[in-house]
Amino acid sequence: MRRNKWLGLGAVAISLGLAVSACGTTDNKSGSNSKGITANIGVMGALSGANASVVIPSVNGAEMALAEWSAKHPDDHIRLVKFDSEGDPAKATPLATKMATDKSFLGVIGGAFSGETRATKAIFSGAGLTMISQSATATDLTLKDPAPTFHRVIAYDEIQGGAIANYIKDILKAKTVFVVDDSSTYGQPLADKVKSVLGSLVVGSDKAQTGQTDFSAIVSKAKAANADVVFYAGYAAEAGPFAKQLRDGGVKSQFMGGDGLYGVDFPKAAGSAAEGAIVTCPCIPAEKIGGTFGADYQKKFGEAPGAYAGEGYDAMTIFLKAFESGAKTRAAVEKFVDNYQGQGLTKTYKFDSKGDVAQSNVVVWAYKVKGGQLVPDQEIPLS
Amino acid sequence: MNFHELFAHFGDLTVDGLTKGSIYALVALGYTLVYGVLRLINFAHSEVFMVGTWAVLGAYSLVGANEGSSVGLIIFATLLGFVFAPAASAGTALAVERIAYRPLRKKGAPPLIFLITAIGCSLVLTETFGQALHAIFGPPFGRAAVSIPSLIPEKEWISTSWLTVSNTQVIVIVAAIVMMVSLDTFVNRSRLGRGVRAVAQDPDTAALMGVNQDRVIMLIFVLGGAMAGIAAMLWTIRYDITKFDIGFLIGVKAFTAAVLGGIGNLRGALVGGLLLGVVEVYSSTLFSSNWEDVTAFVVLILVLMVRPTGILGESLAKARA
Repeated sequence: MRRNKWLGLGAVAISLGLAVSACGTTDNKSGSNSKGITANIGVMGALSGANASVVIPSVNGAEMALAEWSAKHPDDHIRLVKFDSEGDPAKATPLATKMATDKSFLGVIGGAFSGETRATKAIFSGAGLTMISQSATATDLTLKDPAPTFHRVIAYDEIQGGAIANYIKDILKAKTVFVVDDSSTYGQPLADKVKSVLGSLVVGSDKAQTGQTDFSAIVSKAKAANADVVFYAGYAAEAGPFAKQLRDGGVKSQFMGGDGLYGVDFPKAAGSAAEGAIVTCPCIPAEKIGGTFGADYQKKFGEAPGAYAGEGYDAMTIFLKAFESGAKTRAAVEKFVDNYQGQGLTKTYKFDSKGDVAQSNVVVWAYKVKGGQLVPDQEIPLS
Repeated sequence: MNFHELFAHFGDLTVDGLTKGSIYALVALGYTLVYGVLRLINFAHSEVFMVGTWAVLGAYSLVGANEGSSVGLIIFATLLGFVFAPAASAGTALAVERIAYRPLRKKGAPPLIFLITAIGCSLVLTETFGQALHAIFGPPFGRAAVSIPSLIPEKEWISTSWLTVSNTQVIVIVAAIVMMVSLDTFVNRSRLGRGVRAVAQDPDTAALMGVNQDRVIMLIFVLGGAMAGIAAMLWTIRYDITKFDIGFLIGVKAFTAAVLGGIGNLRGALVGGLLLGVVEVYSSTLFSSNWEDVTAFVVLILVLMVRPTGILGESLAKARA
């Protein structure tokens, strides 16, 4: 018996040793190369979990940009390293520290969500690591509390919220609106913006929580309000059951949500209750992107490009152009991105001092759920 | 403070709260039974509920029932759910007792060890479901919420200006009360129930009197598990959704309900559950929905300040036949 125990311990020790040395060899690969540049670009976001479908297409987009570029630049060795934060700020923080302290990382695509971005941008900025977010839309990330190395390629919620309000007012021609948010750093400001623009059209509002599964109290309020539109500012994980319970509870209002609902997760979780729901997104429909992007994406990943696929592609492209220009350090990459000007798949890029693209270049689109899929409805006029 | 809405929809809100509370109460029975006999807070009980909700989904998919199915199939699937969910939940509860608690009991481990083991079991079960379902069935299973077909379409049975009651609310409340009355009768009137009370009162004397302690303990885990399974079935009828960590919040609430009513006291679980459900719904109307948990626990603390052993006091042992 005793001997077996020691044998077991020995085996564990050996395998541990092997594992450690294996790590060592892979680490050595990066960093030492004669020609070209060897670097890592991190991508951080919810790659698993209830909201992953808002993030994964953008990661795929970035991967596609890298694959196309690498084919043309065989001497350079750029790797896209994925970090799954599940969209949770607490899980994102150690991942950010890891990237910040590993000198092989020269750029980060992300964070995908606003909460994790807010929690980590000081870490990245402190290490001089450039971030280009494909989908963190919270307004304060740039306007209230900008970080020197943070950039994003999409419109912020202040703009999206205005667009949502315009859509409700001018296109749906709603007279009464019930607004619900998920109390998160993304949902709450978005709902506030929509409420402030709609003003007296808002006949009621309530707050849910992330992780909530029982929405009966909100449903009874929405029922009492009997509004033309129920707008939900939050993510798919809660919007799915909420929409379902709303329909079960006999509420017939038009259901509408922001880009947190974009992707397949929302229609999947809500089932037939999602039909006809409107989802807005500051992302451009893939079919509006010129060239072969849609077809190439479909071929590579076996599905149509989803949320922020083009934006992910663009974020990666900006980093790749930095490497092309000869940037080999974090400082050089940051300088390049700050001064970058160019046409991407989805829009023309030029970051202002806070890290935003010009308001005149951003778009917000409305999509409609048809047969469990998000179908582009129309571009929303921004003012 | 939205008093206007509270009074305008007082009837609706009360029924809604009672529906919610009935589910809390059924789950609370599991905490109360185990605590009453073993003085152990079985934190893994929330996952016993979670397993039940997945069993309902399993039962529905097994017979291929969905919203569009024929009436016959819907009735069959619903009945199957009422068998599968308690069976799966009771099985899980029993497995946790046999694998985790019994070996500790045999070694006479101190109460703290049981507590940590319970929390450990809870985490193991949640994470296993989070990972394993995805690995076995692929998407949409995983850490996301999965919608369960709502086989019983929501219909309003009573609809007046001050009160609306839907069929599912009636089903949940009636089923919960029937289950609780049966359990109460079982514990207070049957021979096996007498054994449960005997072990709760004094385990050593009960053993001397020929009560098989291990069998009694297995029995309470099975009973508590089955009640959680019924609660899971009722939950899916009302809310049509489950996910791997769905048990956590409901478990905490049910435990609160048990403490509120007097832990160890079966009737206390009912009183505590219903009270908690109603308080939550009232407070979410009065303030806003994200305050319901805060209010629930403030009420708990206030009640415990006045009655430290809960509303009905804690005693499974003192219930008399």
